[in-house]
Amino acid sequence: MNEEKLICRDIVKTYGKKDVLDHVNLELEKGKIYGLIGRNGAGKTTLLSILSAQNPATRGTVTYNGMPVWENREALDHICFSRELNPIGSQGQSNLKVKEYLQAASIVMPNWDNELAKHLVEKFELDEKKKIVKLSKGMMSMVTIICALASKADYTFLDEPVAGLDVVMREYFYRVLLDEFADSGRTFVISTHIIEEASDVFEEVIMLDKGKIILKENTQELLDRSRHISGKAEEVDAMTAGMKTFHVEKMGRSKGVTVLLEPGQELKQTADVSVQQMNLQQVFVALCGKEVE
Amino acid sequence: MKGDERMNEILTQEKSIYLQISEMIENDILRDIILEEEKVPSTNELAKLYAINPATAAKGINILVDSGVLYKKRGIGMFVATGAKEEIKKRKQAEFADKYIKTLLMEAESIGITKEELIRMIKQSV
Repeated sequence: MNEEKLICRDIVKTYGKKDVLDHVNLELEKGKIYGLIGRNGAGKTTLLSILSAQNPATRGTVTYNGMPVWENREALDHICFSRELNPIGSQGQSNLKVKEYLQAASIVMPNWDNELAKHLVEKFELDEKKKIVKLSKGMMSMVTIICALASKADYTFLDEPVAGLDVVMREYFYRVLLDEFADSGRTFVISTHIIEEASDVFEEVIMLDKGKIILKENTQELLDRSRHISGKAEEVDAMTAGMKTFHVEKMGRSKGVTVLLEPGQELKQTADVSVQQMNLQQVFVALCGKEVE
Repeated sequence: MKGDERMNEILTQEKSIYLQISEMIENDILRDIILEEEKVPSTNELAKLYAINPATAAKGINILVDSGVLYKKRGIGMFVATGAKEEIKKRKQAEFADKYIKTLLMEAESIGITKEELIRMIKQSV
């Protein structure tokens, strides 16, 4: 079963004249938790909706185990995209009660785990009789999390699952996710803007910037090779000569840059130049952020 | 560990999470919280406890397997090797100069404390 993969080849998505996804190639392996991070409007939701055939690509193909996913029940039975809910939902789901919404999900998803869904409703202290439209942002997130986990789909996508959740519930969600992951070996793709607290959960991180995948790498390996170099500008320039630098910041004679080390490269801290390890949020800002002059 | 922050430095010192896992287990062995020939927590237990990916927890465990601190009993789990505590102590002693003295010298140099002065300061404080 190791060859089981979800692959997208050369995906382009155009809305009007705007390229939302620009030749995206991606291979998702079975049994990994991927983090999908990108700024607002980078194309995260569009990518997830195309991977799950909820939205047609303008060009390119998505295949699961070699089968195209588009209008293919056999492939789609293995894929679940639990979309973010919103109170003015255009899909007409907002007038349903929580209970009815979960019932609808259980009909669509062939491997639905009703016991898990019930258990999570209880743990999240959700009122099943409440209408979706009446839920707070955090409670809506809980409903989408329950749908995703209880779907038991081999490939499960969660778009901003922790939006609106307080810090205790966010941590609870990641533990429940890891629990389900350890038991099932399913693949999860999770998009989030709260990068730092999720980074240790992601085995691999996928960075999307302006419709392009700029990086897909094992999270720990990426952090191991990311360095922030700062000190007197000339000394920093001397140390990083010949290297590609990101996110250059200057203040007076001082300068700070980010570099990604290649295998075998190492930079040693000196009395004049600081060499620091970075966290995922800092790497993300360095690669996708705005330059500060 | 570090001296005063300087301009354009980033403000948090980060250490790889898998190194933190392996160091934590080593420290528990040094403090007799985990004894030799005892089982250490599984990667899934560590993953759930710290809310980290099991692959990352496994990376931390594997560092200790490679250095001989832990060994695998097939189908049962990871165990602390006999003599591991002494080995960890020896290695930490060997790393001491690199880890603490170099940082000390660097900070001393940047604020103009000479080596002689530094030695005098150390003698005074022990």
